[in-house]
This record gives sequence, structure tokens and C-alpha cells, in this order.
Amino acid sequence: MEVALFGNPNTGKTSLFNILTGSYAFVGNWSGVTVEKKVGQLKNHDGRLVDLPGLYALAPLSSDETVATRFLLRNSFTSIINIVDASQMARNLQLTIELLEFGKPMVIGLNMVDVAKHLGIVFDTLKLSECLRVPVVPIVARTGRGCARLEEMLASACSDPAPSFQLDYGEEAEAAIKRMTRLLKEETLNKRWLAIQYFQGNRIVMDRVHRKVGDEIPRKIAADLSQKLKEKNGRLTVPQWIHRKRKKVIEAVLADAVQRKAPSKPAFSDRLDAVLTHKWLGLPIFFTLMYLIFYATFNWIGTPVSDQLDAFFSGPLTDWTGAALTSLGVLPFIRDVILDGIIAGVGGVLVFVPQIFVLFFFISWMEDSGYMARVALVMDRFMQMAGLNGKAFIPLVIGFGCNIPGIMAARSIDQPKERLLTILISPLMSCSARLTVYSLFAGVFFKSHQALVVLSLYVLSIAMALIMAKIFSQFMKKERSVFVVELPPYRLPNLRTIIRSTWDKARGFVRKAMTFILGGTVLVWLLSYTGPGGLNVAINHSFLAIVCTAIAPLAAPLGFGTWQAASGLITGFLAKEAVVSTFGIVYSAGGASLTDVVGQAFTPLQAYSFMVFTLLYIPCISTVPAIRHETGTRKLTLLTVGYCVLLAYIVSFIVYHGGLLLGFH
Amino acid sequence: MLLTELEPGLSAKITDLSTVDSLVQRRLNDLGVLEGEFVCLKRLLPFGGPCLFEACGQCIGIRRHDASKISVECE
Repeated sequence: MEVALFGNPNTGKTSLFNILTGSYAFVGNWSGVTVEKKVGQLKNHDGRLVDLPGLYALAPLSSDETVATRFLLRNSFTSIINIVDASQMARNLQLTIELLEFGKPMVIGLNMVDVAKHLGIVFDTLKLSECLRVPVVPIVARTGRGCARLEEMLASACSDPAPSFQLDYGEEAEAAIKRMTRLLKEETLNKRWLAIQYFQGNRIVMDRVHRKVGDEIPRKIAADLSQKLKEKNGRLTVPQWIHRKRKKVIEAVLADAVQRKAPSKPAFSDRLDAVLTHKWLGLPIFFTLMYLIFYATFNWIGTPVSDQLDAFFSGPLTDWTGAALTSLGVLPFIRDVILDGIIAGVGGVLVFVPQIFVLFFFISWMEDSGYMARVALVMDRFMQMAGLNGKAFIPLVIGFGCNIPGIMAARSIDQPKERLLTILISPLMSCSARLTVYSLFAGVFFKSHQALVVLSLYVLSIAMALIMAKIFSQFMKKERSVFVVELPPYRLPNLRTIIRSTWDKARGFVRKAMTFILGGTVLVWLLSYTGPGGLNVAINHSFLAIVCTAIAPLAAPLGFGTWQAASGLITGFLAKEAVVSTFGIVYSAGGASLTDVVGQAFTPLQAYSFMVFTLLYIPCISTVPAIRHETGTRKLTLLTVGYCVLLAYIVSFIVYHGGLLLGFH
Repeated sequence: MLLTELEPGLSAKITDLSTVDSLVQRRLNDLGVLEGEFVCLKRLLPFGGPCLFEACGQCIGIRRHDASKISVECE
């Protein structure tokens, strides 16, 4: 049994998916969270559940919407769950009708009945299910209420014959549908559905029909229909005609099965929106919120915990491990790998876990509350100046966690040009890995202004991204830009969802530290331990020092021409955290703590220049394939890597020399 | 009159959507915003920023120049 999950954007498909499969996939409160189909095992049944990106209608506009139609055409599934937002029935049922016409066994999950109740909407689910001829189950996917019943109904729906839902589209349209179905007699899918989708201009269905029977006759049928409808109805197009017919049916169903009373209390979202999307206050509020989040992360909660963890790693843990290893009598070589390599390197990265957890806790909170869609709205004017779309702001904020999901999230942008631009600038977003570098340097050099210094890097990252987008857009052909954003009602974030979402983002960080960074660290340590003179050489005569000394002068104009800095930047290509773990090795030789040595090795201005360079200089090795996959060309991938290096060099140069001129050091 | 000329807080009936960009029109149709529906302008963001309005029980934001192609009629 394979069950497909369909529904409008932001109606809770992924929440239901998580409950029915017991897995965890990312949930947010804006349209376009799921951009790729996800498959999970059903908990209580033998079978699989497929979560598809949300869509309003089957005819696709953006690339994430093609996923759903392609899935229907492949036709490998047994039944459909259609999630319907109970507070927005009129438009949700448009999709429901398209799915009913497809003719597979189906169950409707009427979600967010709690929200609808607040709005004074009361349902007669029996009546609804009678009108639509499929089971309708009221649920609350966020808490799991009613989901068990939905599953039961699903099992029985599969054994019943598929519903035969037909809607009368009027004489002319029915005649055209008949002509088309006759033409498609070889077709294995529901012919009536294919014909209607064809007339609606679903380009994936059109391609399929043209492949099977050529494009001449189908186009002719569609043109005839369009002509006939025009004669009768004036300027209505065929898709509009179909939409209108469905709307009439939906209105009749709703009049029968739904009662509206006065809302039980005035809309809370409206009052909140009056402030958060306020004409003048909208943007300042967003930046203040971001500042507060950084302040909480670095000054109130994250850093104090990180400091204690650091003290534990460099103090007791190193001593105990050292003592234990000595008493076990292991080779000094192994002892050095563990103490100076793994604990100094990987430990140096792990101490930042508390800060990353705190930051993502707040970002997840923003995602779940519905504020992100407002930010897209408030930012649109600025993004437009850079040739982007307000919606591009969401992938960019996700990129703060990790650039890879940010690049994937760009798929929810409708226009190809704006999507490509968003992908190209995504590597400039300051991901959590880079945060380790800022945490280290800001903690040493800018102790009293940590939040401000780190925020300045984030602002720089957005500013650079917008500037680059503007530059790139000059080289692309003009394309009209589409911006229609739905502001979902605010909701109080669910603590469980937030904790899971935070864990999900931070888990990747911890896992990477234990695998990738661990391996890289051991390799770097080996290179620093060996040299032309043999094993256990002074670090200045190691292979690492020799290689890095050769390239270090390149970075001298930026203020950090030491071989140690160069070694950090080279390994930083593997993963940005490796900058810190490498520093842990190359600077900690001699037993002093990393923060002390770094404090001696850089001046504050050099440190800031180094942070700017790390922010911009190259997408990490895991991000490069994601860019290749989403842009589809090697040339654009190389362009992205190349412009990042160049940009980092120029900006760091300006920061360093500008700073010197202003009298900083 | 046009949607953007509406006094914030007032609602009006949509009379013509046909000159709106076809993609925007399609998205608005998806959301249930059609001729004959009521809209209520909530606010226009500064510097020619987006236009926020309410229709069919939901809040929707679109660009100012798209909104200025939506004809409405006060009752």
C-alpha cells in the first residue's frame, strides 16, 4: 500500500506525515516548506506514506509544484489522503475536486478544526462526506487528534471501489471532454481527468497527451472549446470557466454542510500584524528581534554554557584522559593524537554546540509562529531592488542554519531567474559552521560587544548577498517577477515541534563534528606531527607548516599572512568548523589554551578581517554538489565558487585597510 | 477605482482582475480572489512596497503595481 498526501500549502501535511509515520520531517508555518516528496513507513499498517509539496491546483506554476503532478501521472500509489484546512474550505476544495476526478480511493482529513471552531465555523462531516462521496475525518494534525481514525478509514477506503465523482462542466465543455477522451482511448489513466487537466493548461499533462497522440488534434479541441465559451460568456478563459463551475459546486456543498457563527473572539493575528507588518516599524522590529536573538545566544545563555564546556574539555577532560592513557601505557604517538589532535580539535568545535542550540531554538520559534511570511512581505521592497523576490528571504534565513537546505528551499520561488539568483547567493549566508569561528574570535577580541560584532557579520552577509544578486541580475535576461504571499494566522509555537526542529538542525552539526571534522582533524594533526625531519618534529618544521607557509603570503594583504591562518582556511573548505579545529591543533602546541594563543596571534582588526574572509570565501565541500544539483550546470557551480573567493578577498582587503586608515589595529 | 486607492480598512468588491499579470492572477485565483469577491485593504508598505489586503478570510500580500491593476467598487 502506498498512500499519497495531497493538500494546499501550509495546511499541515508534514505534521500529519510525522504523526502517521512516527518520523520527523521539517515543519514550518509558511507556504512551501516541503519542496521534494518525502517517503515514510506507516506506523500501524504495512505501507508507505508519500508527503508531497503543497499546491493549490494541479497545474504547476513553480518547480516544486511539478513534483505532485508527476507523481499522479506515474500512478504507482493505492490511495490518497487529502488534507483540507477547515478554516479555508472554499479554496481547499478546488484541489479536492481535481483529486476526486482522478478517481483513486481517497480520504479527506479536515485539519485545524480547532482553529475553525475559534473562527465560528461548524461542520457536518457526515453531510460533507455524503456530498463528496469519500470519508471525511476531522483532525488536528499538530496534536494528533483524530489521526488514528483517519488511518482506520484509510484502510477501509482502499478496499471499497474508487469513488466516481463527476461534475457537469456544461454542454460545450462536456462535448470537448468527450472528444478528448475518445482520442485518448489507449490511455491507462483516468481519461476524463486527463482531458479536464489538459483544458486547464496543466503543462505536464499536455506534454503527456502530445507525446501519445500528437499535438495537432488536442490543441484544436482546446481552441474550439475556448472559442465556443467565448461566444457564450464573453472574456472568460477555459481554466476560469472550469474554476467557476467548481466554485458553484463547492458553494452548494458548503451551504449544506457548514455553518458560520460570529467568531468567538476578535482575531489575534490582525492585532499582531498591525504591529509586526506596520508601515514604518516592520523592519526595525525584525532587526531588533534578530539582535535580541543574538544577544540571548551570545551574552545571556549560549556563551556562559559554552565557556564552562570549554573549561571542562581543556581542563579535567584532557587531564583525566591523559592520566588514563598514560596508566594504560599506550604509545606516546597515540596519546598525542588523542590529546592534541582529537580533544583539542574536535573539542574546540563541540564547545559551540550550546550556542548553536540556543540560536536555532529561536529561529525555529520564528519559523513555527508564522512570522517568516511577514518577514518576506516586509523585505520584498528591498529584495526587489536587488532583483530578488521577498520570498527569497526565507531560503536565505534557512541558509543561516546550513546552506544546503537553504539552496533546496529556493525551489518554492516561482520564477526561474529569481530562483537561480537565490541559489547563487545562498553560499554567502552565514551558516552555523561559520558561527564557531565568530564565537572563537568574538569571545577573545570583542568580549563586551559579542552580539553586536556577530550581528554585523550576519548583516554583512545579507548585504553582500543582495549586492551580488543585483550584479548577477544585470547579466540575466529580464523576466517579470511574481510576488503573492499568504500570511497564515499566527499560532503559539508547539514546544515539541520547536525542540525537534532545533535538534534536527543542531544534530547535523554534532554528527559532522564526530565524523568529518574528526577525520580531518586527525589528518591535520598527522601533517603537523610529521615533517621532512621525521616524526614528532617541532610544528614549525612540519609538512603542514611548510605547505601553508608557501601560500600564506597570498593572505598577507588581508592582515593574516601566517601559515597557521592559511592552514585553517584550507581545511575550512572541508567544513567551516574545521577552521576552529585546525586552530586547536596548530595553536595549542605547547599546552596553552586556544583562546590565549589566538589572542596573541591576531590583533582585533586582523581578527575581524579573518572573520569576514571566513564568512565569504568559499562554499564548503558539501554545499558544492547541492549547488551543482540545483543549478544543473558545472559552469554556474564554478562561477559560484569563484566569485565567493574573489569577493572575500576584496571585502577583507577593504575592511583591513579601511580599518587601518581609521586608526584601528 | 483601484485597490490601491481604497482607504485602508474599507472593503470593496472586485470588479476587474483581467489586466493583472497572468501569473499573479492565477495565484490570486488559487487563493479564491476572484471578480465579485470582497477585499479589504489593510495597508500599503512604504517606498512603494507591497500591498496587504484581506480577502476570503485570509491575509494576502502582493506588489503595489499588481494591486494597482485590480479594479474595485465600493458599495
